[in-house]
Amino acid sequence: MVSPKNLIVRELFQDQAERLKLVIVGGEKGIKRKISSPRIQKPGLAFAGYFAQIRSERIQIIGNTEWSFFHTLSPSRRHEVLEAICKINISCFILTKNLPPPEDLIQLGNEYNIPIFQSSLPSSIFIRQVSTYMEEKLALETSIHGVLMDIYGRGVLLLGKSSIGKSECALDLIVRGHRLVSDDMVNIKLVPPDVLIGSGPELIRYHMELRGLGIINIKDLFGVASVRYRKKIELAVMMEEWKKEYEYDRLGLEESNIKILGIELPLLKMPVAPGRNMAIIIEVAARNQLLKESGYYSAREFDNKVIVRLQQKGSGSLIENIRE
Amino acid sequence: MPKKAVVIKNKLGLHARAASQIVIISNKYSSDVMIHNNDNMSANGKSVLGILTLTASLGTELTLDVEGPDAEELLEKLVELVNNKFGEKN
Repeated sequence: MVSPKNLIVRELFQDQAERLKLVIVGGEKGIKRKISSPRIQKPGLAFAGYFAQIRSERIQIIGNTEWSFFHTLSPSRRHEVLEAICKINISCFILTKNLPPPEDLIQLGNEYNIPIFQSSLPSSIFIRQVSTYMEEKLALETSIHGVLMDIYGRGVLLLGKSSIGKSECALDLIVRGHRLVSDDMVNIKLVPPDVLIGSGPELIRYHMELRGLGIINIKDLFGVASVRYRKKIELAVMMEEWKKEYEYDRLGLEESNIKILGIELPLLKMPVAPGRNMAIIIEVAARNQLLKESGYYSAREFDNKVIVRLQQKGSGSLIENIRE
Repeated sequence: MPKKAVVIKNKLGLHARAASQIVIISNKYSSDVMIHNNDNMSANGKSVLGILTLTASLGTELTLDVEGPDAEELLEKLVELVNNKFGEKN
């Protein structure tokens, strides 16, 4: 389930007023306006009369350049361009570097209910900080039934039907020193362009449910080093019952993927059967993933070695044939 | 796939013990159960912790979405459980 996100100006103000040094100076009634894109705009060209690219539901940042250009305009022209921008249904105006808000801006902000903020930060820093915040807030999000573990610093997502043994396997991994991000349910956010970040829902964070034992708190039982708040997901492991007719990968030369929020993750299909210690196998899968990320593919290297040996033997026997 | 909306009627809401009853029943069937709330959140009906993330208090509407060979019977059992206030008096 993917939920399209919206941010409300009030949320931005409440969450970030301190970090972004924001003060509201006008248009308070518009505080419930939406922000639908993490991209900011600077209305410089709009002040010059070109409105085509001003988008609705975005924040407009007035820095030194825009502010000083604005003051070269005649009062009637200023009113004209401001009114045109206000009618586009923008989210809010933000003046950086404590620039004093022009009176006509405040007047129109109040009239059109468009909040006007002031920040003491310079534009460059302000834009960087506000973009990071909005990207996180507006990121595509989904939640998945599964367990997310940090194994040797790799984010490994365990998937599979309920009662296949995901939680038991996770507990095994925790006892072996790896860290739990979330059991049962993982919230996944897409951080552009292609990073998936998983975390646990606040209410059940660091808890785990095990049949026969009930609900346990991993952080209390194993300490703060046994858990992580969130983790980038790098590998997915699908645990499933051993199917006789299914050909499991015996070589590791082929790679399969799973798509989450449109991003492809490497996927391992892992059959569960008596005598197979899943925790150890998954731990080794994470090690192997580390190797792959550093450019070393064990299966391919091995395959190459076999091919070289075959070629040598092929040509060697050819020489022997000639001798004979 | 059979679907049905239910409203939580017990005073405490969908707490841990109640959630575990849903899971116990769901696990007796091979069908998959998804539970959705009106805030666009979903949980697997076979996971206690998942269900608890829905924080369904008294009066919350949930949609039970069951899919599989024994879906009809399971859905009936789950609806009955919720409507019987999970066997609680209040």
